[in-house]
Amino acid sequence: MSEMDVIRDAEERGRTDLWPLWRRVYAQGDPLPKFTPPARPAHRFDEGQPLPEEYKSLLLKMLRHEGERAGNKSFLGLMGTCLDLAEALFPTREMRLLKAEYLAEELKHAIMFHRLAVGLEHDFALRDVPYAHYAFHLPRESWADDAFFHFFVDLNGAFHARDWRESSYVPLQKMSATVERDELGHSEMGYYFLQEICSTPRGKAQAQALLAKWYPATLDMFGRSDSPNVPKFIQWGLKSVGNAEIRRAYKAYVDRKLVALGLDLPDERARRRFL
Amino acid sequence: MSDIVEEIRRAYAGVGIRLDQPASYGTYYRLLCAGCGRMLGNVGDRLLPGQAQEIVDAQRDMYASGLLGCTCGHQQERLKGARA
Repeated sequence: MSEMDVIRDAEERGRTDLWPLWRRVYAQGDPLPKFTPPARPAHRFDEGQPLPEEYKSLLLKMLRHEGERAGNKSFLGLMGTCLDLAEALFPTREMRLLKAEYLAEELKHAIMFHRLAVGLEHDFALRDVPYAHYAFHLPRESWADDAFFHFFVDLNGAFHARDWRESSYVPLQKMSATVERDELGHSEMGYYFLQEICSTPRGKAQAQALLAKWYPATLDMFGRSDSPNVPKFIQWGLKSVGNAEIRRAYKAYVDRKLVALGLDLPDERARRRFL
Repeated sequence: MSDIVEEIRRAYAGVGIRLDQPASYGTYYRLLCAGCGRMLGNVGDRLLPGQAQEIVDAQRDMYASGLLGCTCGHQQERLKGARA
């Protein structure tokens, strides 16, 4: 049995009617939009193959942003904040347990990305890369803040992982389905928390007020629409879509779910930093 | 200490919340009630310049109404005092 089989077995023993939350979503069909890759050169690189300098530099840049690596102290620090919040703010024992499952799954990703990093560049495997985007640093002062963090930020990860299905880097393409599915489940966990929060007038008022903080940040996470690096990522097969297109698809997805909670959508340009 | 962390500390001090020492491997800081010391949440040190004050200002009504802040009521009391 491989080490990933052992992890898979442990995960399956942790299944409940609710966890993992991706199951019931995918049971109703593919929840994420399909991105059609543009016409471009057909690159394909596997672990151990020599990589063109620009390709390797872009791939490392992408993985630095991704961050979920066992050797990345800042990722472990972020996970520590999730533990702190779960301990300090959890509303029910069931929700605290869901957070524990979430952490276990993120640590699984940390092992998967660690393997990918070792196969790419040994020094990178132990490099500390603090999350650069401010969305990872917004204050979380309530269970509703934490719920928005998971609903939005983990969904961002799911959208990017969906795009990696077309990746020219084979190890990343192989991981993409698992990461996408898990991250979508983490987003659904946040949404499940939000459904509970919005079931009372007080909770709904809190969520509506906090949405003004999280909504612009989450749209900003896709970067500037005119980012000069994106065409290079697309040409090398490391991305299929530009920032504006993936943001548009993401916005349509989250807007539909926010409206279903009975929340009013903020102005999409208000408090934005990266248009 | 970075300028951003100092900004965060100042912004939260104004509503009765204290910034603790960095947690785990740095980058993230716990937010503690300045009244009773209870942990209220956390914040990272890569906010953009001016953003901490903007966020705390936008959340002032939530602290005042008790939608955010400690169950001991310290932030609520403090903001009521500031209005009086």
